[in-house]
Amino acid sequence: MTSHDVREMLNLPNEGGGSRPAKKQKTSIARQNLKGLAREVQNLGGDNPIAIVPEISSFKKRRFGSRKPAARWEMRPFRNSAREDESLILRHWRRKTDVQPPTAPQPDQQPNGQPDEDKMDADNGESKPEEMEDSSFAKFNVKVDVPQYSEDQYNSTLANKDWTKDETDYLMEAVRDYDLRWPIIWDRYDYQSKDGDASTDSNTAVVQARKPRTLEDLKARYYEVAAKMMAVQRPVQYMNQAEYNLHEIMTSFKPEDETRRKKFAEAQMGRSKEEAREEESLLLEVRRILARTEKFNQERRELYNRLDYPTTETTQDLSTFKTSNGLHTLLQNLMTADKSKKRKSLMGTADGQSTPASAGPSAQPGSTPLAEQRRESIAASASGHGHGRHDSTASTTDARPEKPTKKGAQPPERRKLTEQEELTYGVSTHDRLPSGPTFRYDRINKILTTKSNAQHARITNTLNELDVPARLTMPTKAVVDQMEHLLINIQTLLDLKKLSDKFDAEIKLEKAKKAEKDKAAGIVPQPAAAESTKGNSNGETAKVNGAAKKDGKKAGGDVATSSTEKPAAGEGANGDKDAPKEGASKHRLKSLLATVRGWTMKRPLPKKPKIKMLRMGSSKRLAPGKKRMRDLAAVADRSALQAY
Amino acid sequence: MAQPLTTASVPTDIYGGDEVSALVLDAGYCSTRAGFAGEDVPKSVLPSFYGSIKDTNAASGSRNVFGEDYLFARPDFEIKNYMSRTESVVEDWDTAVQVWESMLLDRLQPERRQTQPSKNGLNDGADGEGDVSMEDAAISAENAENAEKPLAESPLLMTEAPWNQGKAREKAIEIAMENWGCPAFWLSRTPVCTAFAAGKASALVVDVGGANTSVTAVHDGMILKRSIQKSHVGGIWLSNQIRSMFDSNDPKIEVRPSYMIESKVPVDAGAPSQAVLRKLNYELHPSYRAYEDERLLTEYKESVVEVWRGPGRYSNPGNEDLVKTQPGRIFEMPDGSNQMWREQRFRVSEGMWDETAQLPTASEEERITKAQTVPELIRACLNAVDVDLRPNLLGNIVVTGGTSLLNGFNDRLNNELMAMYPGMRVKLHAAGLTTERRFGAWIGGSILASLGTFHQMWISKKEYDENGAGIVEKRCK
Repeated sequence: MTSHDVREMLNLPNEGGGSRPAKKQKTSIARQNLKGLAREVQNLGGDNPIAIVPEISSFKKRRFGSRKPAARWEMRPFRNSAREDESLILRHWRRKTDVQPPTAPQPDQQPNGQPDEDKMDADNGESKPEEMEDSSFAKFNVKVDVPQYSEDQYNSTLANKDWTKDETDYLMEAVRDYDLRWPIIWDRYDYQSKDGDASTDSNTAVVQARKPRTLEDLKARYYEVAAKMMAVQRPVQYMNQAEYNLHEIMTSFKPEDETRRKKFAEAQMGRSKEEAREEESLLLEVRRILARTEKFNQERRELYNRLDYPTTETTQDLSTFKTSNGLHTLLQNLMTADKSKKRKSLMGTADGQSTPASAGPSAQPGSTPLAEQRRESIAASASGHGHGRHDSTASTTDARPEKPTKKGAQPPERRKLTEQEELTYGVSTHDRLPSGPTFRYDRINKILTTKSNAQHARITNTLNELDVPARLTMPTKAVVDQMEHLLINIQTLLDLKKLSDKFDAEIKLEKAKKAEKDKAAGIVPQPAAAESTKGNSNGETAKVNGAAKKDGKKAGGDVATSSTEKPAAGEGANGDKDAPKEGASKHRLKSLLATVRGWTMKRPLPKKPKIKMLRMGSSKRLAPGKKRMRDLAAVADRSALQAY
Repeated sequence: MAQPLTTASVPTDIYGGDEVSALVLDAGYCSTRAGFAGEDVPKSVLPSFYGSIKDTNAASGSRNVFGEDYLFARPDFEIKNYMSRTESVVEDWDTAVQVWESMLLDRLQPERRQTQPSKNGLNDGADGEGDVSMEDAAISAENAENAEKPLAESPLLMTEAPWNQGKAREKAIEIAMENWGCPAFWLSRTPVCTAFAAGKASALVVDVGGANTSVTAVHDGMILKRSIQKSHVGGIWLSNQIRSMFDSNDPKIEVRPSYMIESKVPVDAGAPSQAVLRKLNYELHPSYRAYEDERLLTEYKESVVEVWRGPGRYSNPGNEDLVKTQPGRIFEMPDGSNQMWREQRFRVSEGMWDETAQLPTASEEERITKAQTVPELIRACLNAVDVDLRPNLLGNIVVTGGTSLLNGFNDRLNNELMAMYPGMRVKLHAAGLTTERRFGAWIGGSILASLGTFHQMWISKKEYDENGAGIVEKRCK
């Protein structure tokens, strides 16, 4: 802002400065002009000359030039419509308007000095009433509404043995006069019964002994009258809410309570200094205690927030976290969850979790919302109480409902996902996970590489037999699962094969021995003997069975332990019983292979699996399997008994 | 009907004011205040004391002069007061009208009194006494009867003591309406006005004036009649205490107002005066001496007397010793004698708070009882109002009146109240300006009369004509 600008704004001629000259030049010019200013003050401005002193001569000229005629004011009469006596005409100064009719009445009002007559004129006159302005303050005059009642109404509804109609009227009058200001009404209440003379003659004692009305008496009576008149005008059931509330308040006024309250207040005022001090200190103490509990509660809440760790998945199995390894895993999980959160917040609404690829290794999906919430609450509490408090409460309370809008349909309903949906969204739940990322086919490789070379070769052979490549081209989760499953089954199959081979060999051996014995004894072979050997073999299988059970457990697969007895059962006479089961397992394997193939090679499935010997069951069949084993054992015992 | 007004045209609108050129009159025992509504100080402040000159050649017997300027020593001159000393209400209505007219008409509206050049006193030659005002007053009395009413254009607001009786109130409106022809009139009680001056509608007004101290509760712009407490503890009582102290002083101190002194010479502190007294060749009425004494004592009160600020009473052990170590104040009498005042200046005022500490008084009725001390007045006042109002009143205590200007008065009052009502919020509101404290009631009246919303309150001439003087009882509650 320079003097030039100021001039322009003030519409002053631009003679002195002209268009801005060079700085040096300007200061010298300005200094010459600024006569009213001390040199030192001017110098304060430095290079920019002080712009406050205009050229005096032109300023003055200007001022005179632009001078308007002085505003005219007049004493204008007005009336106030809020007055009871509206004839009072007062006069105040008002700016004169162009039309000036009120000047006419003024002269004749002044000389005779009788506002009354003037007012009469005004009332009768034709044009005056319109011209006389009303006071702008008239609108502020408000009056209270005091219940009205007629003689009949009083007698029918309002009669009260304590109050005469006269006194009630007097009270209503006082209420109206003092605008319901009860302290004043009570203060000025001075009712003298009009028929005092007559009544004092007859029963002097009663009238004389009338004690002064208390404030509560007056209020109670007024509220009684007002409530009853309200109800008379409009029955209670037809009242609107406001009216009803008012009526309710008035009818529930209890003078005794008020009196008691006031007595208490009075006692409160009459306290001694010590009592007051004690009370003050007690109050202080209470406040301190309250503040402490508040703080305590807050800390506790914070603590709870901190503890608000994924509860649902872990509570059933806390043992997972009991080892240091488990704790480490937990920590890893939380950190990864944290990291993923951070990344997400940076990426905005990216749904990194919705794909199984990230969901699988990165975190326990179920724990993420809680972990995030916890993190937020910690952050909020750390950020102090100013506005952080608001945020933290908002986040803790609103976190759950807010979440779905942020990330689509994922989090809160996660636990209620149907299997179908879980499949679609790639959601999976794990009891525990290895730390860090892993490749899926490592799982397959692990199975293969842990085996001995011979076994490895055999498994590969079986896979080749099944037309399944050892190396998966597309190791999706489902494929890997199935593959794993398949491999375990193959493993079992191979074990069983080996076992059955062994038994076959033994049987052959026994048969050869027997043939030799027979040859030596020269007798016809007994069926009982055969039975007994079978029973022995049965006992053996039972033992093997136990070992296999252990193996199965270790493998973690659900390969039926019952299947291990099947070779024996198949050897036995009642092997045919297993026929439908065998069919079922075959069918299972078929479907299994179908899925594996379908995902891996997309090749048509061969009509029939090439493996002949495939007996397996699921864990479901464990119980019947056991029973069968018992049956077999019983049969063997019986046959053994028969043998002897 | 709202008027489209710009702030430029009606600047008073910002505070709801609407001037109707009203006059405000506030009469007290010591002084009478009059002025225009809307101003912050009364234009005219006259002592309520007036001079009555015995006129030997006039048939009426005496004539009155008003105003400090005319109250000087002269023969056959008596000082009177038209107000009642005990009640602070008008006692002598005839003179009251004269005093008020001399203020409202002569002093506030001098242009109205364009007297004939032959009668305006300027051409009369040396009158020697210069009591022009007196002549004016006489003329105004004549004029009032035959000419137009002198206040026909100005509404008048008068204040009255809260205990004013109906008769006196009716008399006031009669004078305003009949004698002066006011278009509108209102009678307002001083505590209400004082509360308004402090910007409060509800307040406990402690008015420590010249003749009286009164404590009144004001609720929503109306006094609570049962709460009115009054005591004669005031400026004049304090003067008597000072007199008593002077009498009991070791070299007895003579109160000699300056009119008695011809010349004086400086003397050492405590030394007897060596002034030459003026010799009057006529007998002076004792009332004049009393009036002049009072003026001198007022000066003494203003410059020396102090109130022990508390906490506790001044008579508590140790307090006086403490005061003795403090620097005192020197006061020089008009006769030249001077003295340092230390503990005595606290002692004289202590009676206001502690009746046992008051100095012996000349007459028994000057003695105050415990109930008449300032704290007890307040307690009695509060006990006479509804319990619910008390906390609010204690939080809005308005202190006014010239005597409340004593040094330390507010501190002491605050301490006393804190001790009396421990745990309550006690807040004093005392104007800082001396004028506002002295003219509190007038200022409140000035505010009231210039409010736009007050127009509906005025009792108009017509209403007066219709209802008679009794209307004032009905309206000005």
